[in-house]
Amino acid sequence: MEKTAFIKTLLKAALDAGIEAAEVFTSYRDSFNAMCNNGEVTSYQVATKEGLSLRGLYNGKMGYASTEAYDEEAVAMLVNGVIEAATLIEDEDVQEIYAGDKEYVKIDNYNPDCDKVTEDEKIRFLLEVEQKVKSCGDERIVQVGRTVVSTSSNASQIQNTYGLDLSDRDNLAFSYVMAVAKEGDRVATGMGMDFSRDFAQLSSDKIAKDAVEEALFYLHASPVPSGNYHVIIDNHCMPDLMGVFASLFSADAAQKGMSLLAGQEGKQIASECVTLMDDPHMAGGLASSGFDAEGVATYTKAIIENGELKTMLHNLKTARKAGVKSTGNATKHGYAGTIDIAPTNFYFKPGEKSLEEMMADIGEGLVITDVSGLHAGANPISGDFSLLSKGYTIEGGKKGRAVEQITVAGNFLTLLKNIRAVGNDLKFFGSNIGSPSIDAGEMTIAGC
Amino acid sequence: MLDKRIAQEVIDCALSTGGDFAEIFYEDRLNNRLTMRAGKVEGVNSGRIHGAGVRVYLGFQGVYVYTNDTSREGLLACAKRAASALHSDSRITAKPLAAHEFVNIHPIAIRPSEAKASQKIEKMRAAQGVLSQYNEVVQGVIGYTDSEQNVWIANSDGLYAHDRRTYSRFNVSAIASNGTENQTGSASPGAHMGFELFDRTVDPEAAAHIAAKQAVTMLHAPVCPAGVMPVVIDNGFGGVIFHEACGHSLEATSVAIGTSEFSGKLGQKIAADCVTAIDDGTMPNEWGSENIDDEGTPTTRLVLIENGVLKNYMIDRLNSRRMQMPVTGNGRRQDYSFAPTSRMRNTFIAPGNDDENEIIATMGDGLYAKAMGGGSVNPATGEFNFAVNEGYLVKGGKIVHPVRGASLIGRGSEILTRIDRVGKDMKMAQGMCGSLSGSVPTNVGQPMIRVSSITVGGR
Repeated sequence: MEKTAFIKTLLKAALDAGIEAAEVFTSYRDSFNAMCNNGEVTSYQVATKEGLSLRGLYNGKMGYASTEAYDEEAVAMLVNGVIEAATLIEDEDVQEIYAGDKEYVKIDNYNPDCDKVTEDEKIRFLLEVEQKVKSCGDERIVQVGRTVVSTSSNASQIQNTYGLDLSDRDNLAFSYVMAVAKEGDRVATGMGMDFSRDFAQLSSDKIAKDAVEEALFYLHASPVPSGNYHVIIDNHCMPDLMGVFASLFSADAAQKGMSLLAGQEGKQIASECVTLMDDPHMAGGLASSGFDAEGVATYTKAIIENGELKTMLHNLKTARKAGVKSTGNATKHGYAGTIDIAPTNFYFKPGEKSLEEMMADIGEGLVITDVSGLHAGANPISGDFSLLSKGYTIEGGKKGRAVEQITVAGNFLTLLKNIRAVGNDLKFFGSNIGSPSIDAGEMTIAGC
Repeated sequence: MLDKRIAQEVIDCALSTGGDFAEIFYEDRLNNRLTMRAGKVEGVNSGRIHGAGVRVYLGFQGVYVYTNDTSREGLLACAKRAASALHSDSRITAKPLAAHEFVNIHPIAIRPSEAKASQKIEKMRAAQGVLSQYNEVVQGVIGYTDSEQNVWIANSDGLYAHDRRTYSRFNVSAIASNGTENQTGSASPGAHMGFELFDRTVDPEAAAHIAAKQAVTMLHAPVCPAGVMPVVIDNGFGGVIFHEACGHSLEATSVAIGTSEFSGKLGQKIAADCVTAIDDGTMPNEWGSENIDDEGTPTTRLVLIENGVLKNYMIDRLNSRRMQMPVTGNGRRQDYSFAPTSRMRNTFIAPGNDDENEIIATMGDGLYAKAMGGGSVNPATGEFNFAVNEGYLVKGGKIVHPVRGASLIGRGSEILTRIDRVGKDMKMAQGMCGSLSGSVPTNVGQPMIRVSSITVGGR
């Protein structure tokens, strides 16, 4: 069945079956992805992917079902799926389908030029990135691990039986490469990456240069002795750490006893130099949108202001339970997901000092530039983390030698309280979460 | 289902610009998920995954195009788009498709769709009943998921195969709290089975006890000290050390392009004598098992390392061309939206001869990692990391007290040579492994092992 007709049939079938209010969330994605190795394209992937989910209130409970096939069978499967789900649900939290807000901020995340770039041009760019790594002029760069170019064009739409009809469109292009450096039996890898909504803005020079420099810098990295060090977490690494612990700020997690920030609103939870923003209207932000996954209008707010927790992130359900208004942070993990909570463009407000000035203030210590294994080594419920890390020493206030095979361990909430300074180098590296470099105070390092 | 005549047309179309191999992968899958929190059913979500992907090779080049439009026209458009990315003057003719029959080594007794939701919820309530017995457990989330994946695979070598994979999994997470600190525990058993899972391998109450005890134990545990020390890793999910430290680096994905630290080392000693490691997709009804892989190759039992010597890599079809070595039935993918590549199945260190009590008694001072969490590896450098979910400090060969927040880091090649004890009792545990072709079910496994020295991250 054609999609528009399918959705119309589906919403009608839902109401006919006794579902009180229903909503369809549709997502469509057109993507291109290619990899090369030694001047040859080794993987070339083109795709269109489309799916939709139906959610509906039946006897006051919200059921969900989703499909990627738009046939008669699917209509029945979705409607029955929603009713069966709603019948089984025992949770008593009140949920709702939203009729909409009066006004929505218009956000333009779509660059039509990006869709005009031909596949041949993308391949040319890909091969250029690999070639630039190979011809970097340093014989220690022995190999190019993986070179990737990727573009996607996405559309999503929310339509419900209250007449709400909102749609969003965006696109993104990115490319990355891994350079492998070798000297004797030492091996190190370096990554270079660039992303933009405008393909023409991607720089193969920058991607290749970053990868080569990182690989060479870490070629002779070694651990430092285990102990306590004064640590700066740089603007590349800090967003990764924040990403794992973002769920601490979810009102849903808090209401379910799964966030240590439950009941902390109005309290000092971080050092005074910390202001944490959630900004859905940020120009060029990867999570910028005028509305959230429930159709609630979004707005910009401080989550932490000068160390004080101002608000948790809410969707309609948690806001109603807490007696506040939704903060417009409802999200869906893919079209098939249920409504959850996530930050939009999420970042620490930059401070005054550059990374160099912060290093000079510290004198002796470590800068952490990369952490691995976040899905396993960091626990958002306990706040604990213990992570394989890379970075460099700070010696005499200046960048020293490369360090690897160490772990940095701590607790995210303790870290927030220990932050001594926030740098002026806020950056977003292909993510909706960004941070300046931060002076994290003393941390425990396991090394040699 | 994928009609054989349409499949033939699609393959012919895909080869029309000179490709030398073409394949169509067609998938229809039903997923179900139930979640219970604080004893109440909170989420019920069902979904149908439906789509197909067409792959064409020309030499070492691979093109993959996928779509949700599985009509004849949609599939042909997909094939045409794939073909348009390749150009060669030679033409090959696809062999006529012939049904590929194989013995189903993973029979399903009760299909998930035949079990009632109320029966599934009953199992979750049994687990919740156990969690409620622990005073310090303040929150419990219990999940049940099942999935029935129907795949049809046809290719220009004349293969036409259909397989159905049925997965069921039960998971329990417990959070213990003293008001200011939270600690977690979890257990997630599953199998390539239907609802008979609960009659054969999974006891919901036992899973709940494991999760609750782990959370409570960790709540009372001081933080793990940092440093380099001997580490004993218990059986079951402890096998994640091999999976991360070595398994990924033996996948053709990185071996074929020379970025693995084990590239070019077949026949060489890469591990201690006591280490034999196997990747086996044939184990009946195991979580990582299949009848055929996602390229239609029958699954196999593959010895990766025998007494420390590297014997085999895991090889998918495209990389078998690059490596000029046969495929091993390891071509896997999350679903039609990924081109397949070499992936692990049930991967484990084989049982050894050492006594488990002796392994700890003779270790001196170190860490006993009873339950491992996940981890990751950089195959080029072999650097890995993983989390210890339940650890104990050992002094003079005696377990002293539990410790929290530990992680293990190192390089795969170093760790493999430092294994100095391998116990007798091998156990496997279930995980979802993420890599280039998405997230696939894999088993990790091992008997208790000891590593003479490893860097332990802690505070």
